[in-house]
Amino acid sequence: MSVSEANERRPPAGRSAGGAEQPGRQPAPAPGSDRRGGSSVELTGVSRWYGNVVAVNDVTMALRPGVTGLLGPNGAGKTTLLHMMSGFLAPSRGTVTLDGTPVWRHPPVYRTLGLVSEREAVPGFLTGHEFVLSGARLHKLPAPRAAARRAVEMVDLVEAQHRRVGTYSKGMRQRIRVAAALVHDPAVLLLDEPFNGMDPRQRLHMMEVLHQLGEDGRTVLFSSHILEEVAQLSGIVQVIVAGRLAASGDYRTIRRLMTHRPHVFTIHSSDDRRLAVALLAKEPVVGVELDPAGGLTVRTSDYGTFTRALPAVAVSEGVRVTRVLPTDESLESVFSYLVAS
Amino acid sequence: MSLIATESLTKRYGPRVTALADLTVTVEPGIIGLVGANGAGKSTLIKILLGLLPPTGGSARVLGLDPVRQGEQVRARVGYMPEHDSLPPDLIAAELVTHLARVSGLPRTSARERASETLRHVGLYEERYRQVGGYSTGMKQRVKLAQALVHDPDLLLLDEPTNGLDPAGRDAMLELISRIGTEFGISIVVCSHLLGEVERICDSLVAIDAGRLLRADRISSMTTATGVLVIEVDEGTEELAEALAGLDVGEVRRDGPALLVPLTGDDIYDRVLRAVAERDLPLHRLDQRHHRVAELFATETTETTETTVTQS
Repeated sequence: MSVSEANERRPPAGRSAGGAEQPGRQPAPAPGSDRRGGSSVELTGVSRWYGNVVAVNDVTMALRPGVTGLLGPNGAGKTTLLHMMSGFLAPSRGTVTLDGTPVWRHPPVYRTLGLVSEREAVPGFLTGHEFVLSGARLHKLPAPRAAARRAVEMVDLVEAQHRRVGTYSKGMRQRIRVAAALVHDPAVLLLDEPFNGMDPRQRLHMMEVLHQLGEDGRTVLFSSHILEEVAQLSGIVQVIVAGRLAASGDYRTIRRLMTHRPHVFTIHSSDDRRLAVALLAKEPVVGVELDPAGGLTVRTSDYGTFTRALPAVAVSEGVRVTRVLPTDESLESVFSYLVAS
Repeated sequence: MSLIATESLTKRYGPRVTALADLTVTVEPGIIGLVGANGAGKSTLIKILLGLLPPTGGSARVLGLDPVRQGEQVRARVGYMPEHDSLPPDLIAAELVTHLARVSGLPRTSARERASETLRHVGLYEERYRQVGGYSTGMKQRVKLAQALVHDPDLLLLDEPTNGLDPAGRDAMLELISRIGTEFGISIVVCSHLLGEVERICDSLVAIDAGRLLRADRISSMTTATGVLVIEVDEGTEELAEALAGLDVGEVRRDGPALLVPLTGDDIYDRVLRAVAERDLPLHRLDQRHHRVAELFATETTETTETTVTQS
């Protein structure tokens, strides 16, 4: 489950001949067309205010097939945004569309949309199977039992499906809610903090489920505070800070675009001092620091030039490099830069 | 003297539910991560260690004391931060922590002083004179930590201290915990589901599964190098993969954007670096792959199989 696969996970543009379409562009199927072509959710100039409180402020974004992480500090407006995407809340301004159809006051969109809300509200007296089946019936699916079985299989709860939900663990309840949201095979799945309260094994399993859904060409958006997991699951993020969209796309690309921040690398070598001197002579290096415990920290203003120069310098100096780490390329540091700026 | 020692500790609830089964573990001072699945018995263990729950069988020792017979003495020297939001909303933080300090046996004046000091220490300044009900999740977590620290305990038991916190809040909380552990020399047991967090702040780890000990070890011995070199270049990955394959460095595998090469000797570093330099490729990352604590819980897929292949 590597991060880079997120880039290639988008399904091929399909019928477009000769590959003229860019792979990253919207597949843009006509509404109601085969969803395997991929559905997308588009927000255009969306704001939402509660009285004088602006929860979401002029957000324009597009969600494509694959898994996307929705990030932001507490109170940034993530849940408001998810509720607008799922048609529970009218935007105060702007539009939210699913494959071109507005989601607000348009119940048919629920045929292509599934939502797992943050607050768990599962009637404990139903069995897992009954709960999912009731969803299938409410959707008036032609074969509700088969749909429920398939959804329960997808979240790997077959063995526990005839137990009452009240006896489920947190992770199981979360998974049965995902199953209920998936029962009508929606092309778009929105999840608000799906990992909350899960233990390590449940987290791994849920990550696999979401990854698979993305692989299958569904558009999956999930909010989370655990950046490490977001980075593992998908490199594609939408970052909301104080109601505004602070950045969107692959976080590594976002990092490269922050050219005003020097890139930081940690390097371990057989002769740190010698390597430090040689590196400092290079143009893009703006600072080198020797760590008393071994290793050096290098700051550079130009990512491309430095990463090409480093191997050459080390080879010509005869220094053995045993470790090169881009220390501020993680989603954690990208996120903290975005929130701080 | 070990910090915590249990001997065949067993706890049953009724005839059917076994929360802890024959758990024997010895924990040395430091920052210890306590991990396990939901329902693995973590909360039961904490309650027994605090002397709030008698074990069905076996014995436990905390700071050399027996929590069954010396419960009060244990609680006088242990601070506990519960997982759930258990703060009365209409109390002012400073009053609440002062009260709990007095419950722990501090006299009135020093309780007030200690409460004020501890709240400041966990990062609550002017806010400490406001009602807890109006606090954010992060602030509530800090109050819970402050009340656990107020009587200057020798051991802190923290149950999911980063629950509900956003990235900045988590960072601050982890920083605080690690400072309490290293600067004050207070031993800390942290329950967490986030193994990355445990890797970051803990020295050792106790993993329990279905009431039994899964593993107890130093973090450093669980994150040892795997003997696989990870190379990531910003572009030209294919080109480099071909070049490395031609170098007779063993099997070159791909893992997303990275190339993996078995590290059979130190000269591998030089040969890889030369290959990168000759092609003028941008070197993004070069590092030995390390084991992760998460492997403890991973199913038979992914990393574990990979590492066994390469180490042989």
